Amino acid sequence: MNIILNGKQFSIDKKMSIKDILVQNNIGEKNIVVEVNKEIISKSQWDQTILKENDQIEIITAVGGG
Amino acid sequence: MSLVIDKKTYESRLIIGSGKYKNFEETKKALEASGAEMITVALKRTNLGQNNNQKNLLDYIDPNTYKILPNTAGCFSSEDAIRVCLIARELLNDNLVKLEVLANKETLLPNEKETLVAAKELVQLGFSVMVYTTDNVQLAIELEKVGCVSVMPLASPIGTGQGIKNSNNLKSIIKNANVPIIVDAGIGTASDATIAMELGCDAVLLNSAIAMSDDPIQMAEAMKYAVKAGRKAFNAKRMKISDIAVPSSNKTDTLS
Repeated sequence: MNIILNGKQFSIDKKMSIKDILVQNNIGEKNIVVEVNKEIISKSQWDQTILKENDQIEIITAVGGG
Repeated sequence: MSLVIDKKTYESRLIIGSGKYKNFEETKKALEASGAEMITVALKRTNLGQNNNQKNLLDYIDPNTYKILPNTAGCFSSEDAIRVCLIARELLNDNLVKLEVLANKETLLPNEKETLVAAKELVQLGFSVMVYTTDNVQLAIELEKVGCVSVMPLASPIGTGQGIKNSNNLKSIIKNANVPIIVDAGIGTASDATIAMELGCDAVLLNSAIAMSDDPIQMAEAMKYAVKAGRKAFNAKRMKISDIAVPSSNKTDTLS
């Protein structure tokens, strides 16, 4: 199954949750926001949100900026 | 009197950006040296494949100590800017945002129409909006009217360090405003910040002037004093300019 993660295509196993994706990509849970198809998924839902084919996931954090 | 933005009081009238520093350590040191209590951040995709323990900007700048001002930097439409603000609220659990909607990548000047549209909508969504804008006097009035908590006109284009290009417009904006007017963008060195404060701006927001100097920590400290000096001079009200020389010493009882 394919998903788009931060603009890049990834092939993942079916029935993976947001939390699984974070673990697989070694992304810490602190200081991030997750969007699926431009909708913010709150942290409490990361476990239960199962990704679907062609889902677009964005993992966003604070960086330096004016 | 201290600076009040969205009912919160700040002792420092300097706000700094967190971009362009060599590393997070330097960002932190510059922030400390500047005396600023508020610092802007941008929101971007995380780097994939990075070490789980890799430090984040927010590990260096404690949101409990400093007010983090998320910026919609890099947005060219109201839609994108609103999306970034919603993400920021989720990340920081705070309604305060810096709205910046740009017209194009070449000039980085604000898109006035989209800025006004986004500001209106964000206020309706419960955000406290500090809005980056041009030095258009009428637009500044309209941005205040739709509920922005601070209006932030540019001194000159982002990252140019050209200083204040149109002080007459800034003065008009200040004269008509009931919310803090903060000069944002274009400040190049300490004297620019002082001039902005002498004009009557409530605060100055700058980034490159510190980060792109040869010694950001020293420049951060210079900015701290520049803003304070400008504010004191504004409060003290400058002397009148005279066309002719006026002696500083008493005219009576001179030796000759």
